[in-house]
Amino acid sequence: MRASAIMFMALLYLVAGVPARAAPASPPPPLQAEQLSVQKLPPASAHWVYVFDEAFFNEIDARIHLFDGDSYQRLGQIDAGFAPGVNLSPDGTTTVVATTYFARGSRGTRTDVVEFTDNRTLHVTHEIVLPAKRAETIPSLFNVAYSADGHFVYAAYITPAASFGVLDPEHGTVLGEIDTAGCQLVIPSGPNRVSSLCESGRLLTVTLDAQGHEAGRAMSEPFFDTDRDPVFAQGIRSANGYAFISFLGEVHEVDLSGAQPRFAAPWSLVSPAERGVWRPGGVQVGALQRALGRLYVPMHKGGEGSHKEGGTEIWVFDLGTHRRLARWPVAPLGLAPLVAVQVSQDEAPVLFAASTAADVAVLDARSGRLRHTEKHLGQTPWMLLN
Amino acid sequence: MRSLDRMFEQSSRLLAQRTSRRSLLGALGQLLSGAALLPLLPLARGGRAAAAAARPDVNNPQSCDYWRYCAIDGFLCACCGGSTTSCPPGTVPSPITWIGTCHNPADDRHYMVSYNDCCGKTSCGHCDCNRNEREKPTYRPSRNNDLNWCLANGDDSNYHCSVSVILGVVPPGS
Amino acid sequence: MRRPAALFAAAALATQALAAADPRIDYTLFCMGCHGAEARGVPGKVPPLAGAVARFMRTPEGRDYMLRVPGAANSALSDAQLTAVLNWLAERDAAAGEAAVAPFTLAEVTRVRRTPLADVPGTRRAVIRGLTAAGGAAPALDY
Repeated sequence: MRASAIMFMALLYLVAGVPARAAPASPPPPLQAEQLSVQKLPPASAHWVYVFDEAFFNEIDARIHLFDGDSYQRLGQIDAGFAPGVNLSPDGTTTVVATTYFARGSRGTRTDVVEFTDNRTLHVTHEIVLPAKRAETIPSLFNVAYSADGHFVYAAYITPAASFGVLDPEHGTVLGEIDTAGCQLVIPSGPNRVSSLCESGRLLTVTLDAQGHEAGRAMSEPFFDTDRDPVFAQGIRSANGYAFISFLGEVHEVDLSGAQPRFAAPWSLVSPAERGVWRPGGVQVGALQRALGRLYVPMHKGGEGSHKEGGTEIWVFDLGTHRRLARWPVAPLGLAPLVAVQVSQDEAPVLFAASTAADVAVLDARSGRLRHTEKHLGQTPWMLLN
Repeated sequence: MRSLDRMFEQSSRLLAQRTSRRSLLGALGQLLSGAALLPLLPLARGGRAAAAAARPDVNNPQSCDYWRYCAIDGFLCACCGGSTTSCPPGTVPSPITWIGTCHNPADDRHYMVSYNDCCGKTSCGHCDCNRNEREKPTYRPSRNNDLNWCLANGDDSNYHCSVSVILGVVPPGS
Repeated sequence: MRRPAALFAAAALATQALAAADPRIDYTLFCMGCHGAEARGVPGKVPPLAGAVARFMRTPEGRDYMLRVPGAANSALSDAQLTAVLNWLAERDAAAGEAAVAPFTLAEVTRVRRTPLADVPGTRRAVIRGLTAAGGAAPALDY
């Protein structure tokens, strides 16, 4: 070979380290033998979200997917049985699932249970067997719920008569059942009050004694009209109670901090021109960032009967002034219409949103900037808990 | 719905003597006893035909657009081995149900429709359909389609699919 | 004769309100979903109305109960509609051989349904025991 060619080749070997004609390099050391372990969850974060997946096409196999809104990692799963009610304990350390199992999976002897999962390990710690009366309905915060101090768990029953079970989660017992005379679901307030929504537009509030038995009850005045403009049963947790949004976009804030519920004057999400045209919709129809006083509602254009359609926009409101602060269209973010929203309560809040395509989006709750879309986080994610 | 025939015919005899709605009673009784079978095919008459043509599936029982499904929620039994009026083999009908009122474009009437669930098997998983005309939240159970209406079936309370059975005509203004 | 004319006028208005409500449609839309096409309910889950309504209506306590159960007290049926539906059910019972009872009046329904029952199962049991003690047919305790 010519000298220049030799020089060139030598340079190549030096620079590129081409091993073709060099002595073979020693292979990397072998992988070490590994130890199987169980993943430990990191410490809980305000940006975790529990994504409730009804798995409607395989309804006996509902689950909750725990998702980290910072690392965008799926952290684990909590199984949830058939058409369950789900919720978190007030301190966030426990997930409660009120569900149904059939002895042979899809058939056989029916057993209704309330199961408790330790959110630090995702182990089921214990269960309480219920009478087979559990409300099997669309997810809401009021199908199963803890009292504010965590002392009681309430499980809504629909048989189709309406009542609820009072449970002692610590001792794992059913303390009793309270008939609610047609009024439905369990909206907890304080250590020992449970309110239920009545067809008449009223709120029934039952007060319990220390043993979980009824100590008294009272009916409020009607605060909505079921015929003209019903409220979604799914309430949105507020500083002192819950906000209920109506089909036409009225916000009914209910203060449950006292012995009697107090109803603020309703205010509207829509202008007169928008009323009846733009409507709230979905399953989890709103979320409230309590420190900022920001209300997030999935809104769509539609007529009567469209109240379960997902939002094509998120509308953001100031809870104090009732003014609309922003409209965030969803399609430009690559998202299908939204059926559930939830927001973290920390100082750098994130907004979670679940779409009809089973994607869960993570957005900056102040700016609406999309940070991440988790594709197919479940089969039919319909409610987000944190 | 033979039992419904008996109830309505019996009461119509009593009530006809006290109200002035004979023509309605007659029509309702006839409809339920099948004496006046109304065609469910679109009639080629001007405006109605035009509206039906715009939604060709409005008369297809295996389509979510079928006029009777205006307040249904779940899987269509018509796609699961059953029909609008029958549960698939091996399933158990729910005795309790929710009621919708749907407009039939073929005859421009509103009908009461019963959306019984068929129960005791796991999700059919086919032809999922959720429409909510005049549907109300769970606290008005008779108009709510969120509840698992298999709930009163005891061990047979797994949800498989939903039917849509015509109960009768809703008079205008109801 | 002022007073009789006023009474007739009031009665005519009440009848008009009742006639405008179609109890069979209202029963179908608001009650039938749970109580069933033949109003027989669901054993263990939903109480029957057939063969029961007329029996409850025999005593003041029974009439009170009928108007304060959730399906009556809390329902969206107007006072006139509820009156018509209950009386229609009672008429069916009469046609089936039950003893005829005084129909509900609009005034009675309006007055009583405003206070829904707190303890429905307990009141039902107590009322049925009272009806049994008073003699004659009472609805079955269990359903």
